[in-house]
Amino acid sequence: MNKRYLILSALLILAGIGLVILPQKSKNKELTPEELLMAIKDPSRFVSTDLITDRIIKKDPSLVIVDVRPAKEFKIFSLPGSVNIPMDSLLSGASMAILKPEGKDKVFCSDDDILADQAWQIFKRLNISNIFIMKTGVNGWINTIMKDNPPLPTEDSRAYDLYSFRKAARQYFQGKDATSSSNRQQNDNKDNPAVPKKEKLNLQKSTNTKPAGGGC
Amino acid sequence: MEKSEEKPGWRKGNFYVNPYLGGLMLGLVLLATFYITGRGLGASGAVKNTVVTTVHTLAPAHAESSHYYSKFLSTNTQPMNNWLVFEVLGVLAGAFLSGLIYNRLNFRIEHSPKITSRRRLIFAFAGGMLFGFGSQLARGCTSGAALSGMAVLSAAGFITMMAIFGTAYVFAYILRKNWI
Amino acid sequence: MTGPLIPLGYIPEAWNNVFAVLLGMGFGFTLESSGFSSSRKIMGTFYGYDFVVLKVFFTAAITAVVGLLYLDQIGWADFSAMYVLPTYMAAAITGGVIMGMGFAMGGYCPGTSFCAVAIGKIDALLFSAGLLVGIFIFSEAFPLMEKIYESGNLGALRVNEALGISAGLFTFLLILIALGMFWVATIVQGKVKKVEY
Repeated sequence: MNKRYLILSALLILAGIGLVILPQKSKNKELTPEELLMAIKDPSRFVSTDLITDRIIKKDPSLVIVDVRPAKEFKIFSLPGSVNIPMDSLLSGASMAILKPEGKDKVFCSDDDILADQAWQIFKRLNISNIFIMKTGVNGWINTIMKDNPPLPTEDSRAYDLYSFRKAARQYFQGKDATSSSNRQQNDNKDNPAVPKKEKLNLQKSTNTKPAGGGC
Repeated sequence: MEKSEEKPGWRKGNFYVNPYLGGLMLGLVLLATFYITGRGLGASGAVKNTVVTTVHTLAPAHAESSHYYSKFLSTNTQPMNNWLVFEVLGVLAGAFLSGLIYNRLNFRIEHSPKITSRRRLIFAFAGGMLFGFGSQLARGCTSGAALSGMAVLSAAGFITMMAIFGTAYVFAYILRKNWI
Repeated sequence: MTGPLIPLGYIPEAWNNVFAVLLGMGFGFTLESSGFSSSRKIMGTFYGYDFVVLKVFFTAAITAVVGLLYLDQIGWADFSAMYVLPTYMAAAITGGVIMGMGFAMGGYCPGTSFCAVAIGKIDALLFSAGLLVGIFIFSEAFPLMEKIYESGNLGALRVNEALGISAGLFTFLLILIALGMFWVATIVQGKVKKVEY
């Protein structure tokens, strides 16, 4: 009996050594056209502006917003905390360093979602994981979050919840802008002074790409 | 899995498979779960879903206004929570089957001979309450957070595992009169 | 076919619940047949008379992680596509400590208590009822707990990334630690007075 355990232990240690010496599988094995097509058909690659807003406000460290518009447009207006990688420098080493980490959700955005989708397809083909597109882009973000669109009286309570969430988010961002209005134009991705939450947020995570609660 | 039920000793109710073999089988089940669904196994999530659904049925307005319940009410996350409910139904069936094969099916209260059944039941209930509470805070229990987390090398899995077992060793010493 | 099969679309979503029941059955069967339906057997790990929990738990975790990493190596599964529970440092530690207290008091964890319920243990039924009440209390008291629940979010962090080593090297170290623990557990178990249960 004892001998059997020794043999099993030795096998297990060998399996462990195997894992140490085997090369780290390079993750950028390119996708075949079939795999790419399947990935493109999956609607979950699009995430809504509301979900992004919620994660920005919660200061989710696993969220990376990648703005692929030209630097000039990025300077005029950008989402809080977003990083600018213009299309022409998309494949540089620096941008790969931003996009490689597997534990982060990388969300592309552009004016609408066309440019962002193109960037997404390039990186999907390079087999970069956890990448998404912000649906309707920066324009959509301004329209849904920063503009006031009260729901019709005929709409259900969910529409009202969404409305109050957007309103709270708007106050949050505008409050932030007001305190840092002097450097508002340069709007790069660092040190916006934190503003305490004005209102408790309650988001219906209708387009969540990952389950909200843990398993168990 | 074991096939030779002919051996009489196996049906006496005190036979357990070799722990390493049991661990290997459990590991293969866990591996299959990850391979098929991309997530691990769980247990407390099913109870949580039961609580959320019950509260939502009895007091819908309350559930929707609560920050915690509303996290799990949106239609899109529902199937994943249901998954755990089906999984736990499977656990009950699988354990029943094993109890049937190894002749362990009977109603009883298991406790140390030094304590009363009443004391055992009170401690079991209190322990369940604490476990349920803690599992929500840590976003999973021993199966969902610790075991499944360790299988994908999640830092949370290792931290939760060490916190559970470390504390359990301390409290087991304090409560040793209950068990030995 | 590259796993995970359902998220990557190889098996239709409709099969999800069928697999849930089947995999759950495998889970329940292995737990029960290893002896996890007995609280006194489980508690043996903490008093040194029966280390079945330690052995089963670590063998299972190592089997799964070694299997997943090898499947990833040969390209059958995508390790990076597996769901990783996000790490919330404070919540994980506090929750774990509370669960540890519950473990020592109740003698079960949720999964094992369901197994014990299935074979007719009344104490496990009370434990499961306690779970319901505990989760209900947490949900109602959530505004008080929200701060600690959301604090210290490190995202979907893997332990080897946190330590700055490769997944393979970490797994190798985990194997060595587990074998060491099994060895110590066997020696301790031989020395501790047997407990009848």
